[in-house]
Amino acid sequence: MLLIQSVVAFFATVAFAVLFQVPREQYVYSGLCGSAGWLCYLLVVANYPSPAVASFAAVIVLTMMARTFAVRRKTPVTIFLICGIFPLVPGAGIYYTAYNFIMGYNDMAAAKGIETIKIAVAIALAIVCTFSLPAPIFRKLAGEKSR
Amino acid sequence: MEPNNSQEKNREVLELTSRIGEVLLKNGGEIFRVQETMQRIAKAYGVKRFHVYVLANGIFTSIEEDGTQISRQLAQETGCKGPDDACQVRHVPLSSIHLGRVAAVNNLSREIVEQRCTMEQAWQKIEEIDQIPFTSQWFQVFASGVGSASFCYLLGGSVLDSLASFISGMLVWCFVLFLSARKANKIMLNILSSALVTLTGVLFFHFIFGENMDKIIIGSIIPLVPGVPLTNSIRDFLNGDYLSGTIRMIDAVLVACCIALGVGFMLSLVTMLTGPIV
Repeated sequence: MLLIQSVVAFFATVAFAVLFQVPREQYVYSGLCGSAGWLCYLLVVANYPSPAVASFAAVIVLTMMARTFAVRRKTPVTIFLICGIFPLVPGAGIYYTAYNFIMGYNDMAAAKGIETIKIAVAIALAIVCTFSLPAPIFRKLAGEKSR
Repeated sequence: MEPNNSQEKNREVLELTSRIGEVLLKNGGEIFRVQETMQRIAKAYGVKRFHVYVLANGIFTSIEEDGTQISRQLAQETGCKGPDDACQVRHVPLSSIHLGRVAAVNNLSREIVEQRCTMEQAWQKIEEIDQIPFTSQWFQVFASGVGSASFCYLLGGSVLDSLASFISGMLVWCFVLFLSARKANKIMLNILSSALVTLTGVLFFHFIFGENMDKIIIGSIIPLVPGVPLTNSIRDFLNGDYLSGTIRMIDAVLVACCIALGVGFMLSLVTMLTGPIV
């Protein structure tokens, strides 16, 4: 089950890599970032049912991978980060907020809206935390992997 | 003629760096990357006093030209004091993201810093980079379909839902391409596209196939979701570019609101015409 999910997440991320005109030789790597992020999200959410916490953990893993790949492939981090983050961006939250609002379930709409904002903040915080780590860590990570 | 040459050269460096910065910013580079790339290139071509200020949609650059004989003579003749500054302002409107060009500029700047590229070569290369084509529209439409179907499945949709999402994801990207070719504004583009997605989702669910209407719609909404401005805005804030971060954050929130508005509009229309759905 987890395997199928991460394979699907891989293809989802690659599809967005195509839409954002990522160079062909980086497709696989951005796909791996997205897939790892989603896997991490699923694992956390299965044990601790909070989408915000799970997104936080997932984005930390994903950003670390993106930075490592960036060093190793000599390419801007943006390329891996933007594509990989797509599975975690709260698109569903936007829909459910609008849906409940229109249907007149105001409580549900407010709850969903707040959850969406929480996830967005968690993603932001995770990116900030990971980018605050010193660069040599990632050089070391990239170096060890290439040897 | 000698001092004049160096002044000419300074001005050319200014033009070149501004052009490179423009290409980088236009295609989705972060503020910090644009600033640093421009500074490194200017330094590599031997310009010492180079200043640059980058915003989400504009670049301001200047070079202080003191010490050259020409400007000193001029200063003496005209009686004015101080260095003869050269500067450039570029307006860079928000446009579509092309990460391939960002990567290409990154490589170019690495070559320049390692002194493997003369200024003529750099000019030629940056113009080539700005012409790197987008992937063909049919491939983009297909990718949008695959992305939509995959997200529908990831968020708990069945295989049939994913199929429906695949078709409506392709449809919505056709619509987006159609509207952007006609220079529709961003707000209407997002409202109309998400309304279209909702409509196809409802139609699929009621008349053709599909088990969860919400999953179909969410899957095919994902290509519209503002993931890029959100990520870029966070990174701008992180690097201390609060103003640009704010501009991009507003962009992200605006697009998200437009999507919600489009979905809400179509859902309420359908509810009005046919009674409560689901």
